[in-house]
Amino acid sequence: MSIAEPGSPPAEPGDADVVWQRPSPLLLRARRIQTVLVTVPVALAGGLAGMAGSAPLGIGLGFGLVLVGLVWERFLARRVAAWGYAERNQDLMVRRGVLIRRQSVIPYGRMQFIDVTAGPVERSLGLATVRMHTAAAASDARIPGLDRAEAAKLRDQLASLGEAQAAGL
Amino acid sequence: MTGPLPGGSAGSAGSADSAGSAGLADSAGDNVAGWHRLHPLSPVVRAGRRLLSIVIAVVALFLLNQHQEGGALVGDLVVVTLALVGGVVSWLVTRWQVADGVLRIETGLVRRQSLRFPLSQVQAIDVVQSGLARVLGLAEIQLRMAGADSSGGRLACLSRADAEQLRRRLLSMTRAPAVATVALPDAASPAGEPVGAQETERLLFRVRPGRLAGAIALSRAGAFAAIVIIAMALVAALTGQPGIVASFLPFGIGIVLAVWRQFNGEFGTTVAAAPDGLRLRSGLVQTTAETIRPGRVQGVRLVEPLVWRAFGWCRLEVDVAGPRQRREDRSESQRLRALIPVGSRAEAEQMLGELLSARPAPSRRPPRSARWKAPLTYHFLAWGGDDRYVVASRGRVCRKTTWVPLEKVQSIRWLQGPFQRRLGLASVRLDVAGKRVTASIQDRDAAEAQEILGRLPVLARDARIRAA
Repeated sequence: MSIAEPGSPPAEPGDADVVWQRPSPLLLRARRIQTVLVTVPVALAGGLAGMAGSAPLGIGLGFGLVLVGLVWERFLARRVAAWGYAERNQDLMVRRGVLIRRQSVIPYGRMQFIDVTAGPVERSLGLATVRMHTAAAASDARIPGLDRAEAAKLRDQLASLGEAQAAGL
Repeated sequence: MTGPLPGGSAGSAGSADSAGSAGLADSAGDNVAGWHRLHPLSPVVRAGRRLLSIVIAVVALFLLNQHQEGGALVGDLVVVTLALVGGVVSWLVTRWQVADGVLRIETGLVRRQSLRFPLSQVQAIDVVQSGLARVLGLAEIQLRMAGADSSGGRLACLSRADAEQLRRRLLSMTRAPAVATVALPDAASPAGEPVGAQETERLLFRVRPGRLAGAIALSRAGAFAAIVIIAMALVAALTGQPGIVASFLPFGIGIVLAVWRQFNGEFGTTVAAAPDGLRLRSGLVQTTAETIRPGRVQGVRLVEPLVWRAFGWCRLEVDVAGPRQRREDRSESQRLRALIPVGSRAEAEQMLGELLSARPAPSRRPPRSARWKAPLTYHFLAWGGDDRYVVASRGRVCRKTTWVPLEKVQSIRWLQGPFQRRLGLASVRLDVAGKRVTASIQDRDAAEAQEILGRLPVLARDARIRAA
């Protein structure tokens, strides 16, 4: 809860008694880098493809795509700020999303396995994503942008809690 | 070819034959640690359709080539021989064993596989007979484990009597507590009752063939097939050139086949209650016998399509954790196992009572504002719940009511889209193991959804503790 909360979502279910933890502030930077890495090549490719038709079309297309990237960037801060997780006594709560807001409750005993992944951008910033898997394919619970040490700690913690409360199918 | 067989005990077909038939009789009483082979005719069944088509091709070629040189024929014979030899070799290197509550299967000549299936974690055991297997009196045993993608164990094929006996024996060994603790495989009961014990089955449901045919004709697939056939006939009649239709023929045949497959799969569905669970049998040409163990049902769904409702028909499906057994069958794999492919409301009610004791009805209606979000589905939108089950119904054309036992809930999700936010609504979804069943408490008042999200995890936990 240390970082400033630019677009902190309004009160949500269970907020009263839940202490939300947030991903690392570096997650915003990681997302920005990812956006640039996607936008620039796509805009270039689009622009060049447009050039084949006519010069104005190509320039317009290129700038249009850059604009899309910029608009996307506008929402990044809010999207990143929407992530949060809370370790409760019996279950883990994860919330995310701005347009479609979601909140998942996953009982520790239901976790089948937990994995920690880190893409190239995340790795360069020392971040990692923790993902929890249950027997249900639909349940999605991941926490991106955790400090790598914190991610490992969380994984071990969840694993031991899961083992202690394991329940059969 | 028999030279490099690994672990080549009982290498010759003769001795294996006697082992195959006599072995089970030995092992029926107690845990004999011996290895068994599959039935010697199983390569024929496994090659099944492919072998049949090859034989037909060879015969056709033979007839056509009578007056020509047999060069092509020799090539085909080589192919057939290779296929047969491959099947025989795979049969020779496959063996299985039941010991210490574990089914072990060893197979493969080049890529040797040793598979272990802890029986305490088996979700269901099926006996499947393809058409050819029925002619030869053979049957295949399939074990279903909980994993959604890993395939379960498969013993193809045993003689029918052996398969039945083995199924019963495996089931008696799997009879762990209703909710087996994943961490404790040794909690499984020891090889319990004697196999010969009197089995009492209570018939719960039998599908009526006429009604099944009617129901499929009135279902989406049936209607689609009818439209395609009529369209083809019309085109042929109007243009006066049947040749035009010929190019679309494979398409039409595919649709007809899909309908046929559904009819074949669901024909003669019988459900009976037995001590070891619900016995499910179905099939016209290929028959399947399946046992759903008590406490393994993850979700129950009642489906009432629009046209069926006019006749008072419905369909009752259950979801058991694990992959669908017949994966090559796409349309089938999308659906759940139908306990009642088509039946009256009364039959469905009776079966529901059998599956879920004292179940809640979907009685809580959504707020009026949900009408703007879901103008059509609002009609049937409702949910209900007690401390054991949650039920949610939705759909306009096809009404779907889903019951989920709280003790099976894997995760609970709350979500709110932009429209819902504007209308002050939110949804809560309950996921259970498997891919397909989710009880969706759709479009509730935001405050109510919040309360549900706060309370359900506690209720689910209590249900889990009670079940354990």
